[in-house]
Amino acid sequence: MRILSLFLQLSLLLISCSDTTIDSKNTPASGVTIHRNPNDYSIDKNAYFGDLHVHSMYSYDAFIFGGIASPDEAYKFAKGGTITHPAGFAMQLDLPFDFYAVTDHAYFLGVIREMASENSDLAQHEVAEGIDQVGEDPVLRRQIFFNFTDFANSGRGSELMDETVITNAWNDIVTSAERHNDPGNFTTFVAYEYTGTGPSREMLHRNVIFRDSNTPELPFSRLDSDNPEDLWTWMDSNRSMGIESLAIPHNSNYSEGLMFDLVDVNGNPLDAAYAQQRMRNEPLVEITQVKGTSETHPALSPNDEWAPFEVLVSRLGTDVLIQPEGAYVRDALLKGINLEYQQGFNPFKFGVIGSSDNHNATHVGDEDDYYGVSGVLDSDAQRRGAIPLDTPMPDGSLYFDRYSRFSASGLTGVWAEENTREAIYDAFRRKETFGTSGPRMKVRFFSGYDLPAIEDDNLITQAYENGVTMGAELFATSDSIPSFIAWVAKDPNSAPLQRLQIIKGWVEEGEMHERVYDVACSDEISIDPATNRCGDNGAIVNLDDCSISADLGATELKTKWLDPDYDPSHNAFYYVRALENPSCRWSTWDAIRAGAEPREDIPPTIQERLWSSPIWIIPETK
Amino acid sequence: MPGIILKQPLFWFIGIGALLFFADNQLADTRNEIIINDALRSRLSALWTTQTGLTASEAELDALTDNWLREEVMYQEALRLGLDQEDSIVRRRLIQKLGFIAESEPLPAPKEGDVESFYQSNIENYTLPIRYSFQHKYFRTIATAETALTQITSGTPAQNFGEASMLNPSYAYRSALDLNATFGVGFANNIASLPEGSWQGPVQSGFGFHLILINTIHPEQVTPLNLIEEQVFQDFQRSRQLQTRDAYIENLLEEYRVIVETQ
Repeated sequence: MRILSLFLQLSLLLISCSDTTIDSKNTPASGVTIHRNPNDYSIDKNAYFGDLHVHSMYSYDAFIFGGIASPDEAYKFAKGGTITHPAGFAMQLDLPFDFYAVTDHAYFLGVIREMASENSDLAQHEVAEGIDQVGEDPVLRRQIFFNFTDFANSGRGSELMDETVITNAWNDIVTSAERHNDPGNFTTFVAYEYTGTGPSREMLHRNVIFRDSNTPELPFSRLDSDNPEDLWTWMDSNRSMGIESLAIPHNSNYSEGLMFDLVDVNGNPLDAAYAQQRMRNEPLVEITQVKGTSETHPALSPNDEWAPFEVLVSRLGTDVLIQPEGAYVRDALLKGINLEYQQGFNPFKFGVIGSSDNHNATHVGDEDDYYGVSGVLDSDAQRRGAIPLDTPMPDGSLYFDRYSRFSASGLTGVWAEENTREAIYDAFRRKETFGTSGPRMKVRFFSGYDLPAIEDDNLITQAYENGVTMGAELFATSDSIPSFIAWVAKDPNSAPLQRLQIIKGWVEEGEMHERVYDVACSDEISIDPATNRCGDNGAIVNLDDCSISADLGATELKTKWLDPDYDPSHNAFYYVRALENPSCRWSTWDAIRAGAEPREDIPPTIQERLWSSPIWIIPETK
Repeated sequence: MPGIILKQPLFWFIGIGALLFFADNQLADTRNEIIINDALRSRLSALWTTQTGLTASEAELDALTDNWLREEVMYQEALRLGLDQEDSIVRRRLIQKLGFIAESEPLPAPKEGDVESFYQSNIENYTLPIRYSFQHKYFRTIATAETALTQITSGTPAQNFGEASMLNPSYAYRSALDLNATFGVGFANNIASLPEGSWQGPVQSGFGFHLILINTIHPEQVTPLNLIEEQVFQDFQRSRQLQTRDAYIENLLEEYRVIVETQ
């Protein structure tokens, strides 16, 4: 035992000496080398996939959950390398990502890890009690986590903000991103999470992504200010010094309506200056992730049959129902164009991405390979509530439910000329992005007055020349009607496509409306013009083994579409949603592997999906 | 006689006075000195100018000096009380400083051939894998793909076949990773055994079936050192830096007796 302890101390000494983890001799600086075609520059752009929301050991929660992987290891994982889960098993992607950003909480950055190290000042702090108990017991760890968050929320958090510790952690994050960035092959971004909260712990969280190597000395955290507007002011001021960044809000679903509120933090109505500052700093929103999908809520979109998708209905870890209004993307897009109609500014003209919010430094987007996202707290089927506990909970329930509604979701797609920081970041700025619930599906989306036929061999080149694409605006004219080209391709490693939809929101005489149009169906099924719906393609899932209908569904869906209800005087937005055939939810895979029945109170199957950034129609000025 | 002297107030007066004098002298000798001189004041003044862009007035400089003194005395006292011991922040900072010293020694310029031999011994990191340049025709079903192959083989131009898709009609220099990412995992294996120069297939992908015409199989290719000299040099330097630090720690350990206590 003593020898082990000596070894550990020596290792710590070695690690302490450097800003980074030790590479063994003679390995390349980055550890994992991947080779792609370096010459894939395309004026028509390529789709690149990645995750912009991942936590390493420097995040206070990730460390308490057992997270031990460094940013360096996170990037190795994203490039296809193998790293170890705190519960001991190996984690690896089927296919490497094109880009990746480690986004640790700036709030308490590296501090909990420091608390767990013997003899540190921070370890003497009352709240450090038990933090160095690096056991496997999830109950104990959860208790420590709650103790910590209670303390942090008590207003005494600044006692723990040790600048040396934070600076060291931040430097390691920056150095790791720099080291793994490999233009043409793999892109990293220096990034972090700003974990702002409202007065009653409403989530106002954002990830801040830096464009290039110009990064600040320290991140702006919740302890600097809980008000996201102060974050934007900080970003503006950085920008004036050449530090370019953008912030991506996430978990609006847990904001209790504050994320897309119609008043600012001080209760003042939004104005043009607010809209400009917000749009200058927040061109994108994360529409889906582990803690639920924030596209829309069944209460907000009662006529959208696909609205109840991985929607978390109650506040995290409680039975208290969430407040949907002001907390979902579609609702915000609608309010944005309504403000534009009424007052001439739009603070919610954003594009969408998906990402995971994984707290194991990895990414789990595959339902059949879901191993949880919170260290040892949800590392097996019982801990994540997919199968019954050996002994029921004190309240008699058979399942542990804190993680059972978590979602194996969240992937970002971008259209960029090449795989470099500059090209991908600029695509974020253009909002030429889409999000998926995990699969690497691709979508093209254009609008214009002179778009080519969809059979055109140069469809994409023509469409870029004669139209606008996702994230952009099209100006209406009274004498012509724009057409839309929507084209989606399946993930070659996932289920076939079932239907392609265009979702429209518009303002008509001061009233906000939304409508879901099916615009292309698989299996040569036609659309009922009365309901705007494809007929059922009959695809089913065999819940004995999760096999899916072999011959149903499409590899691609493509259409040129005219809005039957188009009116050039309406402010409107249009975005694409594409649905796969149904497949097993992760909880069903877990149950089948354990020989248990899937739970009856959780849908056994889901339809994986994709959302594009919108195209906005700007009416003629009257 | 001694009794009488002890009863003399003058004796006590002189004796206690001498003791006090002696004690005061001793104490004065052991007190730490904090020296405030012109050098310190000009350092503080320069720091002020760096931070504010202004020149400190006499009054400001006095205030700065006073502030420095208050901090310095606390710092000295903290050291005297041993507050720097067993403090992991101080410990880490000291380790970091020593690390900087260990690494500040500039690496000697590489000797003739050093970078070259590092490159050679890590050649797999500088080698491009096998890559393919090919055309393909896509079909949703295997039957249509097979029919098309029969007709192409018997002379019908390949351009007459294939279904539209988001895939490009041809790809250049694609590695196994590129192929698996674009066509689905396993695709690279499926085409690995195909010969160059003729239409082959059908090959299954995540989308359906493909006829493939491989124009060129590009063998593994070592990137010549002169094209990536800077990258190899950086890798070499980093590897040497790690070795230097390891060696420094090894040397340090030589100077310490490490006692491993077993229970």
